[in-house]
Amino acid sequence: MSAAADPVVLRHRDLEKIANAALRVGRVLMECGGRVSVVRAGMRLIAQGLGADVVGERVGYASLTLTVGSGEETITRMIDVGAHGVNYRLDVAVRRYATLVAREGGAPQEVNETIDRLARETPHYPLWLVAPATGLACAAFGRLLGVDWPAFLPIFLAGGVGQWIRAKLRERGTNACLIAALVAFVAGVVGGFGARAAGSASAEMAVIASTLLLVPGVPATNAQTDIMEGFPTVGSARAISVAMIMVFATIGIWGAEAVLGLLP
Amino acid sequence: MTLLSAQLMIDVAHQAAFGALAACGFGVLFNFDWLSLIRCSALGALALAVRTFALAGGWSLEAASFSAALAAGAAVALAAPERGEGADMVALAGCIPMVPGAFFGKAILGLFALTAPAPAHPEETAIFAIVAMTRVILTLGAIGAGLAIPSQISRHAGF
Repeated sequence: MSAAADPVVLRHRDLEKIANAALRVGRVLMECGGRVSVVRAGMRLIAQGLGADVVGERVGYASLTLTVGSGEETITRMIDVGAHGVNYRLDVAVRRYATLVAREGGAPQEVNETIDRLARETPHYPLWLVAPATGLACAAFGRLLGVDWPAFLPIFLAGGVGQWIRAKLRERGTNACLIAALVAFVAGVVGGFGARAAGSASAEMAVIASTLLLVPGVPATNAQTDIMEGFPTVGSARAISVAMIMVFATIGIWGAEAVLGLLP
Repeated sequence: MTLLSAQLMIDVAHQAAFGALAACGFGVLFNFDWLSLIRCSALGALALAVRTFALAGGWSLEAASFSAALAAGAAVALAAPERGEGADMVALAGCIPMVPGAFFGKAILGLFALTAPAPAHPEETAIFAIVAMTRVILTLGAIGAGLAIPSQISRHAGF
């Protein structure tokens, strides 16, 4: 019997397509900031909606593995995960689509095309809006930390500049830890100098507030939730990544404080 | 008492307003749609108001942050049970302004100061850094637990 006519080989090819489609959905969810339980549920909904049984799945920080089966046949496939970020609208769109596939079925090719289309067409805010919004968040954060009013505008400016630099460096594929250090340094210097020039009495706190865009709040909370939900490996990896980002951000803050003469 | 209460109300309004602004800014960064931006701003205001009341009542930062995150998580679980786990991220964005990033920076800078050739007041600096780091860990844990409890209990109908 030729391979093309062998029903086992044919079934394996079908299962492979289903596994790969489900893994692509899991990858998008992971890269959008989803917890492990969300990623697993997304892959499971797609695989089952496409007609396969899920035998097992493994969610790692940098890769996903899925085993699907049908009757006696099973197949295991793996996919890399890219940089972790937060993209709420894409996350929600993919979740809704996974629910739709689970309910109404579909074909693997259709799932792949839809995921590509969602990634391409889901709206996102332009940098000219994201940068000032991030600056505003830092300035508001500063007020919550007790920074005085003269430092408000400098922190707003510094946070915006920091986000603009972060976005540009991400586009170039710069390492996330290096980005944290560079952004913290530039935003800290801009915020600190600006606060001083504006007559603020809280220049040191303005340096820190200007860098708060770097605080990885979503991964930090996801780390804890993942561990709580029984996935300590990914949770620990997330926690270590959060700590590394914060250490590099602090190196940037330290450099900014040295430039500003704020170090003891 | 009246003056104290008026001052407390001003503090609460200030913290709530800037909590909402900070949450909204982070919501844009996280690519929230407009409705979710409004929701996360409201949750930021709620969380910071609860935390400020609790701190004024003599609670520790950790306990106050826990109660604030619990309030935000419960509000989402009660108000939007049909929206699935995506709603959890809105609650989380509302609590981002409570993340103790400044404490972490101070802790690491304190440890840096200890590595100087001749650190001034090394014992005080070490204690300061350890206390700051402990507060970071406990406050982050408190926020995570406060958000997780309502979510785990309510178990959303959606995905």
